[in-house]
Amino acid sequence: MTPVRLALLLLGVCGVAAWQLTVIPPSLMQMTVGPVLAPAAIVAALTVVALLYGLSAWRGRQVDLSQEAGQEALPGSTTRMLSLLGGGVAFIALVIPLGFVLPGTLCGMCIARAFDAPFNGKSLLICGLIAGVFWFVFARLLGVGLGPALPWLF
Amino acid sequence: MEAFDALMGGFAIALQPTTLLWGFVGCFIGTLVGVLPGIGPALTIALLLPLTYHVPATSMFVMFAGIYYGAAYGGSTTSILLNTPGESAAVVTALEGNKMARNGRAGQALATAAIGSFVAGTIGTLALTFFAPLVVDAALAFGPAEYFSLMVLSLVAVSAVLGNSMLRGLVALGLGLLLGMVGIDLQTGQPRFTFGRPELLDGIEVTVAAVGLFAVGEALYLAWQGRETKTGEVMKLSGSLWMSKQDWARSWKAWLRGAFFGFPIGAMPAGGAELPTLLSYYTEKKLSKHPEEFGHGAIEGVAGPEAANNAAAAGVLMPLLTLGIPTSATAAIMLSAFEGYGIQTGPQLLSQQGGLVWTLIASLYIGNVILLILNLPLVSLWVKLLKIPPPWLYAGIIVISTAGVYGAGNSVFNVGLLFVFGLLGYLMRRFDFPAAPLIVGLILAPMAEQSMRQALTISQGEWSTFFTRPLSGSLMAVAALLLIVPPLWKQWRHLQAR
Repeated sequence: MTPVRLALLLLGVCGVAAWQLTVIPPSLMQMTVGPVLAPAAIVAALTVVALLYGLSAWRGRQVDLSQEAGQEALPGSTTRMLSLLGGGVAFIALVIPLGFVLPGTLCGMCIARAFDAPFNGKSLLICGLIAGVFWFVFARLLGVGLGPALPWLF
Repeated sequence: MEAFDALMGGFAIALQPTTLLWGFVGCFIGTLVGVLPGIGPALTIALLLPLTYHVPATSMFVMFAGIYYGAAYGGSTTSILLNTPGESAAVVTALEGNKMARNGRAGQALATAAIGSFVAGTIGTLALTFFAPLVVDAALAFGPAEYFSLMVLSLVAVSAVLGNSMLRGLVALGLGLLLGMVGIDLQTGQPRFTFGRPELLDGIEVTVAAVGLFAVGEALYLAWQGRETKTGEVMKLSGSLWMSKQDWARSWKAWLRGAFFGFPIGAMPAGGAELPTLLSYYTEKKLSKHPEEFGHGAIEGVAGPEAANNAAAAGVLMPLLTLGIPTSATAAIMLSAFEGYGIQTGPQLLSQQGGLVWTLIASLYIGNVILLILNLPLVSLWVKLLKIPPPWLYAGIIVISTAGVYGAGNSVFNVGLLFVFGLLGYLMRRFDFPAAPLIVGLILAPMAEQSMRQALTISQGEWSTFFTRPLSGSLMAVAALLLIVPPLWKQWRHLQAR
């Protein structure tokens, strides 16, 4: 990813937003300002600043902190990011069938893996403890609805 | 006198054991998040928003205030002992504080930071107590046009003044405003930007956006870099925590000057805490009798900026409590918490929810005392926290973030959105886009649209109402100047340099 590609991505977002503007149903009520005006103004303004950003990036005036000395990514960056995102996907896929603690543990292990901790028993133990304690504090003590800790308990 | 009586009423509630306990918990959590890297007050308050359904409003806001103040206190510990500021406003503290720690004076650096924070926090809270009713009186004259203009000014100021680039600030603001439009239009009932997904009809939860950007985004960036696998070098807590007579003599004026920089600038839209801490640092450097010590561990260079930081924290609460205008990401999330309780913010807040506001202000005084007690004796505990290995620290942060978002509505869709915002946060971090304009835009967009529509309905569709009404027009003019003057100034300096 570079600032120019980011600008293209932003313009893509503006395009999708502009398409969504066209599918807003017209208001059945007679009003001074309808439901489209403010979003249309925002999309127009965002398009202008995204274009300006793209132009500035094309001229090489926008920054990518990863290009600065001491900030560049070390080898394995994609694997580490995928590991972290994989933790999120695992949580989403498993939280309904398995309750909070097991998916929370797996999610924690994937995140620890993204920070170079091995995927082993120690990681399982620590992340299990983290997920279990958070479930107890949030769900039991504070009454936040996290669902059951484990599918066969509570 | 009326304010004083109301404040005493606030103290009566804030000193009740349950409220006091929530305040203590808030101060403790706040110091903790101030100390820990990768987690700040905005993220913490966002994570605790699901609790708003279970805890009375007064207790919750007292806790939030404790977190807010506590984070400002706690940030100094990492700056001094680790040379890694826990939050942006503590960057300046690291300049001299870490040097003092390396010279074996970590104890004195922590002490002047904590006592300075207490002094300035108290001065800031006093100013809030006595100026807030005056601002409310003035704001009661505001109509929808003035409110819209004030919001435009806040949005422009947050985007154009904060961060390293106005253009990137405006892009972030545009994205925030666009995201704020997602959901059902409250006046016509028409869905906007929902892609046919029923989960988006209620709009995008502030918690999801804030936690995704701040927690998941930061973790993704650090994981991508791969440089955060070991804890940094934590300086030993050497030397006594007691300040010498000379340390006191060199600190007290810096505390007062810091407070006088911090509060007014913090109260301005986009004033924030970074500018007053920098101003305080350079003022102390200029006024010091020992300018040669700056860069090598001058105590004034810790005392002034820390005081400015805490006074600014009180200042930021002023527009939030009196006008309902958030000027930072944390204030924006606190505003969202008010909405969660169905409390209408703005000038009416003080008259309709006077008990809550004065209890909150009273709790700030109490919080300052709690934090002074918490910070110094428990400093060795905070130091131990700095030694948590990053894999377990970030596993904890992301699991608690996921739990917070999932717990708010048992929605796996929102958890997915959390990670999408995480990716956005990663890109924003990497390409140096500020996050505050996005969060403030997300929260203010529906409110600004509402005010705009009301103003246009009253004026029968006349757009000139925003420019011809004196107060509204003045606010718009200031917003325009904020947009135009900085690039012109930059251009002029560029030409001068040639």
